[in-house]
Amino acid sequence: MVSKEEILEGLAKAVIDGDEVKSEELAKKSLEVGIDPYESLMKGCNKGMAKVSDLYEIKEMFVPEILLSADAMYAAIDILKPHLKVDASAKKPAKVIIGVAQGDIHDIGKNLVKMMLEVAGFIMIDVGKDVPVDTFVKKTIEEDADIVAISALMTTSMMYMEPVIKKLKENTAKAKVVIGGAPINNDFANKIGADGYGKDAVEAVKVSKKLVGA
Amino acid sequence: MDKMTPPERFQAVLMGEKPDRVPVIPFILGFCTKIVGMPLGDLYADGNKSFEAQFMSMRLYGYEQTPMYGYASCGPWEFGGKIGFPYGEGHSAPYVIEHPVNEIGDIDKLEVPDSDKPVGGFVEAQKLCDRCVEMGMPGIFQGGSVFTAAAVVADTTKFLKWMKTEPKSAHALLDKVSQMFINQIEYFVNRYGADKCVVFDGGPVEANTVISPQKFEEFAFPYMMKVHKKIREFDIPVTLMHPCADQNLNIPYYIKMRESLNWKGIYAWIFGPETPLKTQIEKFGTHDIIGGNVDPPSIQTKSYQEVVQLCKENIEQGIDNPRGFILCPGCEFPPLAEPIKPMAFIDAARQFGVYK
Repeated sequence: MVSKEEILEGLAKAVIDGDEVKSEELAKKSLEVGIDPYESLMKGCNKGMAKVSDLYEIKEMFVPEILLSADAMYAAIDILKPHLKVDASAKKPAKVIIGVAQGDIHDIGKNLVKMMLEVAGFIMIDVGKDVPVDTFVKKTIEEDADIVAISALMTTSMMYMEPVIKKLKENTAKAKVVIGGAPINNDFANKIGADGYGKDAVEAVKVSKKLVGA
Repeated sequence: MDKMTPPERFQAVLMGEKPDRVPVIPFILGFCTKIVGMPLGDLYADGNKSFEAQFMSMRLYGYEQTPMYGYASCGPWEFGGKIGFPYGEGHSAPYVIEHPVNEIGDIDKLEVPDSDKPVGGFVEAQKLCDRCVEMGMPGIFQGGSVFTAAAVVADTTKFLKWMKTEPKSAHALLDKVSQMFINQIEYFVNRYGADKCVVFDGGPVEANTVISPQKFEEFAFPYMMKVHKKIREFDIPVTLMHPCADQNLNIPYYIKMRESLNWKGIYAWIFGPETPLKTQIEKFGTHDIIGGNVDPPSIQTKSYQEVVQLCKENIEQGIDNPRGFILCPGCEFPPLAEPIKPMAFIDAARQFGVYK
């Protein structure tokens, strides 16, 4: 008989190892033995991804491994999600609009940030890559988002971040803007009036949490 | 005042002699389209227009860089996929529309273009190189990086995962991509002669923000070796190396490549701004030319005076490199930088880069 702790630890390990088959198997097993799916999500999947995030920060895990961990995590979430109980009294999670700036099709970094913010409990709305300024603004207003996260990998596309910030202000949107990507630094973020800058996915999560007081 | 012409200056560095001052290779590609008032996409879509724009910019500013052709998304077009040219707002380089490899099974079906004719971007590269060689300049074209090209020939996310889940297939793809580069290099060598050719090798996907040095050793290094072994056999004298972005953890493999091939040509290294010049000089300076690596976004966002200062700091660190130093940005010159910014490089070289 496998214990609850063993299942949860196994689930976390499957996520760290990027073992999709094992994470699916353990997610199913957790339901069979009656573990609360929310607990499996938090103490299995999220615990595993938090470790992945730590290992990435100290350069012991890299993008290929993280992509496989994400696959393993989402495989388990797909199984657990239909069984999660909705708690109407729980605090509403913060909503993030995420996308790659206009002119830029490089979305691996954006996808990593999206996944890590999702794990951190944010509701993610992905508007994709090469996203026009007006699309960011329209979507932010429509969704009443708390954060807009914009990534850029080119010196040409980074110039489309400031117009998003300006137009959000013109529309008195409440959303805070977090930016990141290879050509971006703190000075540039301050210069264009961004509320936060994440040098990598881990820092983007820390900054976003701080901005929403999480 | 300058005592040498740009060709004399660059030739002196190549020969291991001291020029009058530090040469400037500003890695200008998209930027020069503004000089001639043409759309940025033409720089990649038409080799003749690319030559015109780069040649005019070179004449206007008087820097030492001669026209070249290449871009980071090289590979898909050459294997029958589809790329888009940067004509849209915010675009700065060609991008992939259709990857030739989307599933593992597609790798077997890939046909490696042979060496009897140029394919894809190499057709445009040939137009540009023809013009350069006619005028006595080298033909500079792309010979890598194999790893970055493989990562865009295939769907990039899938390729990165295959390194873990389907390593044999990832190797098969890398092998085909490396052979494509070898065949295209051979075509250019046959057309112009090796002494007129300069190979440009570099890409961002092998950066350590993406893969580990272990993965670099297993998947990038063997194919980089394969291509460079042929470059050595062809007797191509100069190879421009641009390990793009943060590749500090990959440096031991670049050193190993040089040593194990008993390299007899010249490498000119342009690392990203993440790699200190001191490190580059320690690792390669005895044998190779080191390119400065001024931070490209700063060129775009900072003032003329600040860019001069950044260039000054770069020159002070690199000017005494034993095998020569050239002032460069750490990646492509930002296409949207103000027209005065290349002058900041030239002015800094004239003020702070004079050899006594």
